[in-house]
Amino acid sequence: MLALRDLQRAMGRSVLGHDETSLADAIVGEGFAPGPRLQIYRHHYEISLTEALKAIYPAICRLVDERFFGYAAHEYIKAHPPRRPCLHEYGESFADFLASFPPCRTLAYLADVARLEWRINASLHAPSEPPLAADAFHIVAMSDYPRLVFRLLPSLGYLESPWPIDRIWAGREEAVDLGEGGCRLEIRQRGEEVVFARLDEPQFVLRRALLAGEWLERAVAEALVADPLFDLAMALRRLLGEGLVTGFSLASDDSQTSF
Amino acid sequence: MIAISSTGIGLRGPHLAAIVAAPPAVGFLEVHPENYMGGGGPALRALEKLRRERPISLHGVGLSLGGTDGIDQGHLERLAGLVERLEPALVSEHLSWSIVDGFYLNDLLPLPYTEEALDLLAAHVDQVQTRLRRQILVENPSSYLSYRHSTIEEPAFLAALAARTGCGLLCDINNIHVSGRNLGFDGEAYLAALPADAIGEFHLAGHSINDVDGQEILIDDHGSEVAAPVWALYRAALRRFAPRPTLVEWDSRLPALPVLLGEAAKADAAIREETGDARAA
Repeated sequence: MLALRDLQRAMGRSVLGHDETSLADAIVGEGFAPGPRLQIYRHHYEISLTEALKAIYPAICRLVDERFFGYAAHEYIKAHPPRRPCLHEYGESFADFLASFPPCRTLAYLADVARLEWRINASLHAPSEPPLAADAFHIVAMSDYPRLVFRLLPSLGYLESPWPIDRIWAGREEAVDLGEGGCRLEIRQRGEEVVFARLDEPQFVLRRALLAGEWLERAVAEALVADPLFDLAMALRRLLGEGLVTGFSLASDDSQTSF
Repeated sequence: MIAISSTGIGLRGPHLAAIVAAPPAVGFLEVHPENYMGGGGPALRALEKLRRERPISLHGVGLSLGGTDGIDQGHLERLAGLVERLEPALVSEHLSWSIVDGFYLNDLLPLPYTEEALDLLAAHVDQVQTRLRRQILVENPSSYLSYRHSTIEEPAFLAALAARTGCGLLCDINNIHVSGRNLGFDGEAYLAALPADAIGEFHLAGHSINDVDGQEILIDDHGSEVAAPVWALYRAALRRFAPRPTLVEWDSRLPALPVLLGEAAKADAAIREETGDARAA
């Protein structure tokens, strides 16, 4: 008799696609052999995960066609079995997988379109937080501004690509001039949907640095590299005006004061 | 609370907008909590809005109650967070396992029905009920295989689990039919072996009939209307146990919402008719 632990390990190997002969003897096979019975579970595993990936990556599926997507998903699922039961969290590394998947070598933009879709998916499940009022920084002394650390909307994400992935995402790639250059995107929840928009380079690097938890002074330094005439006051007004800031703290080398 | 004669529907993403725009007259809505564990987002906000008007049932698929890895504490905490947030009328999970060595196999995999498995299940159900501070219902699975070394019949196993842990049972009528046909047992005899007092909910769904190497096998794909033999078994259950909250599930090849609501209306009609029969008898 197989101990439960051993049985589950054997079943796990079978579902993951490895031949599992040790299990066959444990299964009642009257009328219908153990092999085809096990195959039902293996089939469900692969089909259901392919569907889960398709739900997160509809543009990739459209771009490569459904059959090829099924093949790519099959290879991905084999290499990266899920570790968590929330399927909207499955497939984070699909973009990296596509980037190194030999049959996709000629579709250089594909991995970045997948990164955009993952980012949209992540935004869709992120909590919302009320934005700070426009005058929220009035209590902060000017001399403390450099060490401001913002808390931004949890659904925010920033993505930079050498390809026009927003336009590729929105339509068929044949209609897009791949030579038109890349884009810098801000992705967020707005109301009941996830939206994304292009940002210019200084805004993009500032916001991306702030989202990463950089002090304002360091984030501004990055923006100034992109644009020596960068207008910080305007950038902060926009940040607040767009409802992206939900909190802030003052950083020091050894502590933070939250507001 | 869900009225015992209420019928609900499984709420799936593609129907969410239509349901929010014009909430249908159903007794309750059931969702898989795993789809709402991101911490926020439009779908969770919609669910929070819907629950003000009608009861919600959380029907988990990811706890792996029968898994030898043990209950994933992080997942249980996320479930507890949702339970606190949504205050569901019912919380349920499955008599199955789905995780081994950290791999999530995305299916409700069958257990051997042994004393070893019963001890493990009972410990895990205890752990979950203690953390959630409430009773959960455990659902009978649909099965495509059984194990030679099982020593306990499935309904007796469920009865023992309910007796040891105080959990309730979610009696999935379609699963009884599917497993019965695949493994060769009689659905009505299965119902007769269940402890009536423990049953807290019925499930109904469609299945497909497949031919594999000349053998018929039923697949619980939730992709069609409830089949006639399942309706007949449901009516037998109503006569035996009296009504319980009943849910119609539909997951693959999802139809337009009115089709699903039509199935719920059929369950309502069955409850009315069988309750009448019971009174007449």
